[in-house]
Amino acid sequence: MENVLEIKNLNYKKNQRTILSEINLSLKPGKIIALLGENGAGKTTLMRVIAGVAKNYRGLVNVSGEAKDFKRKAHLSFTESLNGFSGSLKIDQVINLYEHLYDDFDREQFEQLFKFMRLSKNQRLSQLSKGMREKLVIALTFSRKVDLYLLDEPFSGIDSMARKQIINSLIRWKDEKATVLISDHFVNEITAILDEVVVIKNKTILTHQSAEAIREKNESIEDFYESLYQMEEE
Amino acid sequence: MEFKDNVPIYLQIKQYLYRQIIIGKLKPGEKIPSVRELAVKLTVNVNTVQRALQQMNAEGILYTKRGEGNFVTEDTTLLEQTKQNLINEELGKFVQSMNALGVADEQISSLLSEYLK
Repeated sequence: MENVLEIKNLNYKKNQRTILSEINLSLKPGKIIALLGENGAGKTTLMRVIAGVAKNYRGLVNVSGEAKDFKRKAHLSFTESLNGFSGSLKIDQVINLYEHLYDDFDREQFEQLFKFMRLSKNQRLSQLSKGMREKLVIALTFSRKVDLYLLDEPFSGIDSMARKQIINSLIRWKDEKATVLISDHFVNEITAILDEVVVIKNKTILTHQSAEAIREKNESIEDFYESLYQMEEE
Repeated sequence: MEFKDNVPIYLQIKQYLYRQIIIGKLKPGEKIPSVRELAVKLTVNVNTVQRALQQMNAEGILYTKRGEGNFVTEDTTLLEQTKQNLINEELGKFVQSMNALGVADEQISSLLSEYLK
């Protein structure tokens, strides 16, 4: 089957500083994959490049066979923490904007997700707690019908209840063929739902493995990840 | 349900289902929950559940009816054998931890019958 994501020899610089170096990565359809790395390792930048938000990179980035930035966008869903939206907007207005912006926005699925997350539409963005905001981001992101979903640290700074709701909605609503890439610097909260693990370190991809293959060696994903980061510090 | 971090999840899902079958929560001939229902209930990946069910199908403990889902076998010999396997596994673990405490194999049965009195 064709890969959902194909990255070859990706290099990215910002203000003459290298942020990503020689990235190669292929993701298959229907997988849940963790993108692990410390803060500053380049996780968010990699997502922004894939999503076509960060431009002027060198190398090939292909999503569902499309290499051009604007064409890729139709095949992936990435909500950058609703950064572009004014805090005074009501949730209702954000939903309408999304429906307007994206042809593939599935209103029915959104309503189900929204209800599941126990959100309410009258609130303004600025009134939302970190957890509620993240849940809204997930509901909006998952309401588009695409091949690739990019979630940038959805679990940072939220309580365990919100975390469980997000994880459950992922299992419940992810389409069989869709692939989800979740970045995190902390792994143990999502290990049971992962198919694969990608570790990013020193601006490049250190390893890409199946989660069950790691466990076959009687190693937890957490230990595996930590051992990769400790190697150099010792 | 809590899973161990350092053991493949598909093996733990199989263990969970074997137990459900042995204790009669899932009866012979009964339809088991769908792949997605199981994934949600156990908070695991759908593909991992799929892998566990495929193996259990190959073992014969489950069988698939096209378009209907997975069912528990009605083969009583196989069910009995599955139960025996689980018992042996638990006994193995018990003996291992006794050995680790310095109890020799020969002492185990007398200690056990003393304890059960």
